[in-house]
Amino acid sequence: MSQQKKMFSRRRVCRFCTDKEIVIDYKDAKTLKNFVTERGKIVPRRIYGTCAKHQRQLTEAVKRARQLALLPYMGNTQF
Amino acid sequence: MRHYETTYILRPNLGEDQCTEIIDRTNAIVTNDGGAIICLERWGIKRLAYEINREVQGYYVYMNYAAPGKTVDEIERIFRIDDRVLRYLTVKLGDSMNAEAIEAEKQRIEEKAAARAKAQSENTEGDDFDGGSLEEEAAEE
Repeated sequence: MSQQKKMFSRRRVCRFCTDKEIVIDYKDAKTLKNFVTERGKIVPRRIYGTCAKHQRQLTEAVKRARQLALLPYMGNTQF
Repeated sequence: MRHYETTYILRPNLGEDQCTEIIDRTNAIVTNDGGAIICLERWGIKRLAYEINREVQGYYVYMNYAAPGKTVDEIERIFRIDDRVLRYLTVKLGDSMNAEAIEAEKQRIEEKAAARAKAQSENTEGDDFDGGSLEEEAAEE
């Protein structure tokens, strides 16, 4: 059990730091969908290992996308 | 002058004429205040993630412009009055904007559009994301 736990908790690097091509943009709902759960919650950064700076930008972008009805506040993201 | 971008959603059943009328009126507010429109995009009718005023679809319009702050107040005041506008969102992109910066921004947008058009022609099939995130989350907990 503890062996398995170790396997999952390996260090991941921030996706946005490694790949400078991805820009966090609230208008790009398709990309943002990768960072919310199926129910529309923002995925915490302990899951993807996003760095604090980019997680902050991501959160802001998701919230703006929600205001524009590009992403749901709650409910299925596949529509 | 400052650099702003505004996205607004119109009711989908208005028809092209009324949409154009609203867009023209908004543009006129910007230009009358001495601002400049840098780019205007009609994203067209899109499905909304949730219902707004009993509408399930919306006509999205995106504009990128340089204008003084009071222009934004005026645009938003009019949007609030007009019930054909379902939703709007204004984001400030930069604090100061001059003619040079406007040109630079125009060029940047053009390049981006060209790059996007190229990428689209290269791979026509869309990449659908079917949410593997939940499984990953479950594994973590």
